[in-house]
Amino acid sequence: MRINVHDPERQEILNRRAFLFGGAVSLGLVVVGGRLYQLQILDHDRYVELAQDNQFNRRIITPLRGEIVDRFGKPLASNRKNFRVLFVPEQTRDVEGALDAISEIINISEEKRTRIMRQIRRRAPFIPIEIENNLSWDQFSKINFQLPYLPGILPDVGETRDYPYGEAAAFVVGYVGAVTESDLSQAKSEEERILLRQPGFKVGREGLERTYDKELRGAAGSMNVKVNAYGRVIEELKDQAIPPVQGETLALTIDADLQLAAMKELEGESAAAVVMDVVTGDILVLASTPAFDPNAFNIGISPQEWRALNESPYKPLLNKPLSGVYPPGSTFKLVSAVAAQIAGYKPGFRAHCPGRLWYGNRYFHCWKREGHGWVDMKGSIKHSCDVFYYTIAKDIDVDIIADVAKKLGLGQTFELGIPGQREGVVPSREWKRRFFAGRPENQPWFQGETLSVIIGQGYVTSTPLQLAVMTARIATGREVRPRIVRVLGDIAAPPQPAAPLGIDPAYFDIVRVGMDAVTNEPGGTAYRSRLDNPDWRLAGKTGTSQVYQITAEERARGLTDPEDLPWERRDHALFVCYAPFDNPRYACAVVVEHGIGGARMAGPKAREIMRAVMTKDPAARPAYDPRVVAQTPERSREG
Amino acid sequence: MATIILPGGKRGLRERLSRVHWPLIILLTMVAGAGVVTLYSAAEGSWQPWALKHLIRFAVSLCLLLVMAMVAMRHWMTLAYPVYFFALAALAAVPFIGVVNMGAQRWIEVGGFQFQPSELMKLALVLGLARYYHGLRAEQVSQPLYLVPPLVMIGAPVALVFMQPDLGTAILIGATGAAIVFLAGLSWRIGIIGVIGAFVAGVAAYRFGILKQYQVERILTFLDPDRDPLGKGYHLLQSKIALGSGGLDGKGYMLGTQSQLKFLPEMQTDFIFTIFGEEFGFVGAIGLLLLYYAVIMIGINIALGAKTHFARLASLGVIVTFSLYVLINTGMVMGLAPVVGVPLPLVSYGGTVMLTIMAGFGLLMSAYVSREQDAFSGRGSL
Repeated sequence: MRINVHDPERQEILNRRAFLFGGAVSLGLVVVGGRLYQLQILDHDRYVELAQDNQFNRRIITPLRGEIVDRFGKPLASNRKNFRVLFVPEQTRDVEGALDAISEIINISEEKRTRIMRQIRRRAPFIPIEIENNLSWDQFSKINFQLPYLPGILPDVGETRDYPYGEAAAFVVGYVGAVTESDLSQAKSEEERILLRQPGFKVGREGLERTYDKELRGAAGSMNVKVNAYGRVIEELKDQAIPPVQGETLALTIDADLQLAAMKELEGESAAAVVMDVVTGDILVLASTPAFDPNAFNIGISPQEWRALNESPYKPLLNKPLSGVYPPGSTFKLVSAVAAQIAGYKPGFRAHCPGRLWYGNRYFHCWKREGHGWVDMKGSIKHSCDVFYYTIAKDIDVDIIADVAKKLGLGQTFELGIPGQREGVVPSREWKRRFFAGRPENQPWFQGETLSVIIGQGYVTSTPLQLAVMTARIATGREVRPRIVRVLGDIAAPPQPAAPLGIDPAYFDIVRVGMDAVTNEPGGTAYRSRLDNPDWRLAGKTGTSQVYQITAEERARGLTDPEDLPWERRDHALFVCYAPFDNPRYACAVVVEHGIGGARMAGPKAREIMRAVMTKDPAARPAYDPRVVAQTPERSREG
Repeated sequence: MATIILPGGKRGLRERLSRVHWPLIILLTMVAGAGVVTLYSAAEGSWQPWALKHLIRFAVSLCLLLVMAMVAMRHWMTLAYPVYFFALAALAAVPFIGVVNMGAQRWIEVGGFQFQPSELMKLALVLGLARYYHGLRAEQVSQPLYLVPPLVMIGAPVALVFMQPDLGTAILIGATGAAIVFLAGLSWRIGIIGVIGAFVAGVAAYRFGILKQYQVERILTFLDPDRDPLGKGYHLLQSKIALGSGGLDGKGYMLGTQSQLKFLPEMQTDFIFTIFGEEFGFVGAIGLLLLYYAVIMIGINIALGAKTHFARLASLGVIVTFSLYVLINTGMVMGLAPVVGVPLPLVSYGGTVMLTIMAGFGLLMSAYVSREQDAFSGRGSL
């Protein structure tokens, strides 16, 4: 069928409608053109900005953390290369096979493998995923050697914190750890938050690392990078880069060699040792055993390891020289001897010791059951006679003792920059009133309590650092202040000339003579701990502080030897000393927890530490100054 | 090849070639050239993987156009219904023998080649409807009885394509069909009722969940592009950034940061206009739009100068399809229309669309070649 209708009307309609259609298209294109005008001409600036935002990213360059060095420039905390192995999923088709290949060199647990696979699925395929870090050089070189057969594997060298002295300096420098949510919320600026978010960035968690975190951090650098839509870097705009600035160097007073020697000496015990320069107050040794390895904390330790550290009776997480508080025991008699003189007792005052003294309603025993006989002040220190001090305590005001103890450095913390220092207790009438605020019946001071305090028992407690400061102040008669930071960046803390103590220096003479007798006269409680060097005489004082009172019933059962007691009930052993006797330069305090006796446990250790100090004599050597090192190249340019 | 299609031809091949509208061919080549240039830039200055193929495809399609132009219009009228029913059959067969690609079933594989029946249908529907209205008087067009066949002819392929699912092509086919019915002289009253009906159907489709989730998303995103800037609105936002940052004279050839840094999605296909606009700016983009405008206006002119009603309607149908492509695509990349997956004709990368468009112009050209000697003797040219 062939239809061919000749109908002029429909052609008219078609022409009209085609005209309308043409008009509609024209209108449509005008609208499109108008929109184009709006986007490209009117809103041009806004879209240019958005295109720039798309295109350029600011990339932070993490600064190197400042070093912490000892007094001679040996690094206690520095940075080391962190050998890592990364994996770029897009570089291989066979992800499983690639992981199999790398597992032959480094151990990848099932758990870890699952985690890696999950990351691969989640992230863009060109973003490297960390498979393992802190590889040994051996593993790292093996990976590099086999690289042609390891598709997608990318060896990488980053920087991480390193503590070359490991646990030996753990309590001095502290450690760094991963950034937490609370660090982020406490960040003061967006700049800081960005830095904190850098992968692998660490902040100081403990010790000086924590206190001086801001100074050690340094200033982040930055570089603009051109990225594509997937965040892949197309170009690094090096000419606009701001280089990062390494954090400040922290130069300490610590002598790393002596620190190591002290740590070795204390090994196996739960103990603390402090060595101070009595002239400058420089802390040369701040040893605490057992310790933890700050490197392990940096890498991250397992919950099991953490629990083990936390629950050990040896308290490896406790910074014992600063945060361990112990009754000073007989070392406190040095304070008491000065207080006695202030109270009017002359060095020649003598008391008779029959081994015990009746006061109030009970006997106070001397450590020596059979008694010391007649004892003067020098002898009271040399033999550490308790009854001599009980005799004085019967009518001395406890506030006099408290005043002397405070002046000698007990019952307070010092500005060291290491957090967690404890104050200890110097009991006085005022202290007791405050301490027993809730129980008024216990508030008044009972004279019987003075008898305990005067021999360093009862309420009185102290830290090893305080004992070292006390010894330094007795040795010099001046208000020696301990310090551990010598130089921070370009600010040096000059050793301040020690002020007078506010105690008649003459009162210290008999105390020093007594201490000399303790170690250097036969019959002294620490005669075994003498240093046989006439030019470098060691003057000391033993201390044994009671942890547990053997009951009468136990005594009746025949339990008299403290070695029969379980470890945690044994007495603490203490020893304080200074040397040389006639020109004091170094003071030392040693506390061995549950070491039974100062003379047998603490004295010998203190002597060995002081022997090392004597051999090295750090005060006689010029200390390292990072500012001089930093200035050297500048000077040579001028010259 | 041209030598074999001469049955019943009144004119010799040489004469017919001389009657081809060469300025239109040149315009089409310029548009396709813009495509090659842009695709070369999109591949970061490389003929691979798009530019060279695009050029070859255009060359092949141009040959097809010329061959089709050599076939007399009356032969196309004879072929109109068979082509339509073949296309409809192929479309209906897609769900059974089609190849699933990117979540939609649109392709049929024939002897190693894949082709999209929905693309063929764009042309086939134009032919079929033109053929249908060729036999109707003006007063018959709006009679309900005569309205049923065109509604079925349009409705069947639209429904089939919509189910593939390919909303963009379904809308395009439906709109083209409606436009031809309108051009054929449908009364305004019925036309308006039809538009309202289509709108109601669309709302119902949305309400009763006939649209796929991503289609709903796209429409919602069109209504509020900032709704989800990194999700569905991302394409549009990046596209606007590209155009906007191009400014008056563009960032320069191969210097478009948005495209070179891959911020533009699907930039070699649906969003290619934004690369062009980014690199050549407002001046370049308007220039390209003017090229399209010229093609459309020449096309309408040719249509109105054709000898038969069939030729006029078919030619206009081709131009309607072409115009819809241009308007929907450019509107879509600038946020004037929803992102429905309509390419920019002759510029976007894609073989089937190129072939369809050029075949359409082949038909148009055939109408021009078959025109009366005195084509422009006052017969309703614009």
